[in-house]
Amino acid sequence: MVASSNNAHPKILKQLQHLLGSIQLAVPLLVAIIGVLVGATFYESQVGSPTVQNLIYKSHWFGALMFLLAVNLSVSALSRYPWRGPRKIGFALTHFGLVVLIAGSAAVIHISTEGMLLLRTDQGANNLVRVEGELLDFVGPDGQEQQFDLFIKPDQTVSPSQVGDLELVRYSDNVIKTTSFAEQGDVANPAVKLQLQSDRMNQTLERWLAVAPAAYSEVSVGPATLQLQQASSNTELEAMLAAPPKAAEFPKFGTLRLDSGEMLDVENSQGKLIPLPNGGEMLITQVWPDFRLNSNNQPETASDNFNNPVLQLALRQGDSNGETVSEARWFVFAQGGFQPVKTTVAGDPLDAEALGLVSLSYEVQPQPLEDYFRVVIAPDGNRFYAASSSKGFKSGPFEASESVIPGWADFRISLADSLDHAAIDRQMVEVPADEDVQGDPALLVATPDGSQQWLPWGEATTLTDASGNYFASFSAQMLELPFGVKLEDFIVERNEGSESVAMWTSQIRLDDIQAGPQESRRVWMNHPTWYQGWKIAQASWNPGDLNQSTLQVKREPWWVTGLTWLGSLMVVVGTAVIFYGRSAMKNLKAALPEEKAVGAVADSAPANVDAVAKPTVVDAPVSAV
Amino acid sequence: MKFLKFLLGFTLGLMLLVLPLSQFQAKPLALLQSLAVQIDGRKKPLDTVALETVQKLHGSSSYKQADGSKLDYLQTYFALAFNDRDWNNEPFILFSYRPLKEEVGLNPEQKYFSFQELLSSKSLSTVINRAHAREIAGEDLVRLEREALSIEDRATLLYRTVGDNSLPLVPHPSDAKGTWVTIENAAELYSPEAAAELMALEQQVQQGYRFGAAHMDYVGQLGGKLKQSLAELSPMVYPSDRTLNREVFYNHFHPFGKAWMMFGLGFLVMLVSLWFKPLELYGSAIGLAAAGLATEAYGFILRMQIADRPPVTNMYESVIWVSFGVIALALIFELTSEKARYYLLSASPVAVVCLLLADRLPVVLDPSIAPLVPVLRDNFWLSIHVPTITLGYAAFALAMGLGHVSLGHYLFANPANPTVKKRLQTLSQFNYRTLQVGVLLLTTGVILGGIWAHFSWGRFWGWDPKETWALIALLCYLVPLHGRLVGWIGNFGINVAAVVSFNAVLMAWYGVNFVLGTGLHSYGFGTGDSQLVVAGIVAADLALVALTAIRHRSRQPNGQPLIVEEVTMPEAVVQAMASEAKSV
Repeated sequence: MVASSNNAHPKILKQLQHLLGSIQLAVPLLVAIIGVLVGATFYESQVGSPTVQNLIYKSHWFGALMFLLAVNLSVSALSRYPWRGPRKIGFALTHFGLVVLIAGSAAVIHISTEGMLLLRTDQGANNLVRVEGELLDFVGPDGQEQQFDLFIKPDQTVSPSQVGDLELVRYSDNVIKTTSFAEQGDVANPAVKLQLQSDRMNQTLERWLAVAPAAYSEVSVGPATLQLQQASSNTELEAMLAAPPKAAEFPKFGTLRLDSGEMLDVENSQGKLIPLPNGGEMLITQVWPDFRLNSNNQPETASDNFNNPVLQLALRQGDSNGETVSEARWFVFAQGGFQPVKTTVAGDPLDAEALGLVSLSYEVQPQPLEDYFRVVIAPDGNRFYAASSSKGFKSGPFEASESVIPGWADFRISLADSLDHAAIDRQMVEVPADEDVQGDPALLVATPDGSQQWLPWGEATTLTDASGNYFASFSAQMLELPFGVKLEDFIVERNEGSESVAMWTSQIRLDDIQAGPQESRRVWMNHPTWYQGWKIAQASWNPGDLNQSTLQVKREPWWVTGLTWLGSLMVVVGTAVIFYGRSAMKNLKAALPEEKAVGAVADSAPANVDAVAKPTVVDAPVSAV
Repeated sequence: MKFLKFLLGFTLGLMLLVLPLSQFQAKPLALLQSLAVQIDGRKKPLDTVALETVQKLHGSSSYKQADGSKLDYLQTYFALAFNDRDWNNEPFILFSYRPLKEEVGLNPEQKYFSFQELLSSKSLSTVINRAHAREIAGEDLVRLEREALSIEDRATLLYRTVGDNSLPLVPHPSDAKGTWVTIENAAELYSPEAAAELMALEQQVQQGYRFGAAHMDYVGQLGGKLKQSLAELSPMVYPSDRTLNREVFYNHFHPFGKAWMMFGLGFLVMLVSLWFKPLELYGSAIGLAAAGLATEAYGFILRMQIADRPPVTNMYESVIWVSFGVIALALIFELTSEKARYYLLSASPVAVVCLLLADRLPVVLDPSIAPLVPVLRDNFWLSIHVPTITLGYAAFALAMGLGHVSLGHYLFANPANPTVKKRLQTLSQFNYRTLQVGVLLLTTGVILGGIWAHFSWGRFWGWDPKETWALIALLCYLVPLHGRLVGWIGNFGINVAAVVSFNAVLMAWYGVNFVLGTGLHSYGFGTGDSQLVVAGIVAADLALVALTAIRHRSRQPNGQPLIVEEVTMPEAVVQAMASEAKSV
């Protein structure tokens, strides 16, 4: 009994080895792989490459299938040892070559690092590479930071679905933030919810207003503004409910105050030469209501609203003969705290004291609102309204039961809700895809206590849970390169006489993090460059913006490249040897007739081959397990 | 003697080249047709512009008029350009997609429509507008809409071509790649006097053309003068006569449109040589095929000179290349066997079908020579990867042809008959040899593709659909080849596999571009009405295979596996296997 079981063991092993290396395994395995690949390509034409890459080609089961194939190939090649004769040598070369190739290709897909580097000619060097996939990074109540790579499946579920003790319920690419107020706590903070209704436009709007936070005390709806103000005294209440002053009372472009106390209306003074004491002259050359610097570092106005008004002055100082001593250009800011920016254009520096410009200031009064609906909370807690429109002004008590017609189209405003101790309550809501609202991507996360919250993309957010807070961020997977790449120029060549593109080329500068700019290189299609082991290749461009170029950045260990090239060579040479090695040998032997043929059994030609075929090239199956 | 027979066939083939003899008659408008035009990203002779315009508008390179007389493409183009009739009402624009004709209420039986008919169809313009709206919105268009847009393109092209004087004929003064202008705008680049002279010449040509056929010599002379004036403006930029005439010659020589006749004739002669062995026409059949191959090779050389790049960069060129490869392989096999005959017999129909498709379907397989997209440019690996992989397809196409010949024998002859049995044995051996070549070439081609991808896309293998399908095709041949090693299939099975597995090649070659339409190899993608036709042919072929299999099975003794009687392993091999099995 004992002896027989000892014998059975190696027998089973032998059988297993036999099976693993057999064609009987290989053929079904290949058929299965064919089936999977066919299915995958058709699936890909429907859901796109990233999904199929993730669900099939990079999946564990597909890896296992390829691994099994590699085992099958290896065992079958090993079982033919010693590899004598061209056919067996070819067999071993091909089959081991395939194993090497499978290993190399798997390494290319799984080990290498790859991402896209977005560059612009008008920006500095970039070293942040966008890697495919999303990243979830969070710190739980235990204070430990955890990071996970996420993949969004086509059905909007997320892989993996469980990270640490958070459950990732699903993903949505259209989530918007909403704000509402709720009665909470004991801090007095009045809030009202107004309903605006227009029958003509068939429109109903609802807006929350609150005294705090300040951003909710004034809300703009189209051309009109809604306000909530709290009066601390009856005088204040009266002022708040009073009709607005006439627009003409404030100069629209503001006033310029000189040392002498003289006030210049900017609008009226523009383009006029303004005499200054001691033979000076001033000219208001430019006004920017909403000053900013554009991408070329040139001043421009962002809007027509007087958010950041700035004046440009041209100043001239003359001597007693009227000769110009000094010319200067000043930028004067209306916003408090900014000293004028002074530039000398010609001659000596300007003597500001002599010209009476030491305390020069520019003031712009905010223009009174023309269209507004203001809710005022009186000291006694009663609510009043003041409504102004082009049709006139009115005010009175604001009762929950009544609606006010302020005079903007046919809008009626009524009180939908009111709170005395309001606290803000921010929520995120998923919008159905067919609704015409542009939301942002977000991830629905369930914390251990089971509550579900949306985690917006690219915005660190606190998730509350009974066990404590999670500080989480859901963002693009980025990779930092050890060097920076600056796009110096992006060159688009077109085919002669047409708009079609012949080639696009990125002229890049490679910057070492420590040593600074190193060298310039050119990268174009099929002509990548290598730097510090990274391959940099032209990937795509934006036809609408020729300042932009996307480069593919990739690194794979040298041995990975080596494996694929070695495997390639082995397979091609091996296949050729299997098919033609024997007849080549035979021709060689025929050329050297004195040498005795070796291995006559394996090399003998099939007996029943039709006579018309030359026996030297006829091949027949020989090796089989 | 043998060589004489070969020479006979070869000469006969070359004689086909000179037909029709009219192609050698001096053309009155010859100088006009070699005017250089800078259009679609390169400089080409007016002859090519005419050919491409007429092919695009009419789907053919000639126009059969209402009275039955035929205009060649050049005559048609001049008729359009000089506006010699009411083109509004000439039924000239090709419109073949039936569902769209039905949708917009046009006669589905009618193939050509007039500009007026298309313009006045309200529902056609509705479909076109919808297609444009969806295009702007970034949505994927459905087939109907894409076809509607292509009809719109044709109508626009007709409108632009009629009475056309907007061709950029005037060379840039200094820059070889600079933009050319029309004769009307010549003053932008040259002196007003030079521009006026060009304009006067152009008007004279137009006038002369209106005088009618009798004055074409005069028009031709004027055309020569016009060309000379244009060339003299910028002799360094203007293409040489040699270059221009080469392309005109290529258009008229029509090498790929003639090669198929030689292959067809070679096929017939080979059939005769098979049935009437005493005639000994084998050499002549080989000679005919060789003449066809030489013609194709010459055509490729011309095309490469014109385009200045390797000859396999789009679907049209790959179809032509397969026809070349399949004949070349068959000839190599014929030369290394003794009068095998079946290689060429199987290859010729494949080559003829490929060439006819390429020649007759300019709308699906666009033969025009256009600049390459950036990813295909300037690449050594590309220029060996694509020809290698396509030669692999050619080898499998030959195996498919051989498979059909074998299956024909199984279907129509009795395999038990010793002669038939012997012939089937031979055919299967041929098939096996061909499959070996195919496997080697396709393996090499796929691997070369990987090496190219390593440089171009940064990875050796990335499961791109085209890559994946090339691999699937390879596996579809490896499975039966391995199955044969263990005796799961025999000769019949190998022949069936050679036919059935070719569908995987078709999918890799054509299907990825036309059926799947995704992936990085998109520069080969196209539109057209071919999917159904291809699917129909594939289905019919598979039905034929099934029928043969049923007939083959019915001949087998009951309960016996299919291949028992035809396991062909030689005794020595069986012994070797047995000893090997013992040693394991």
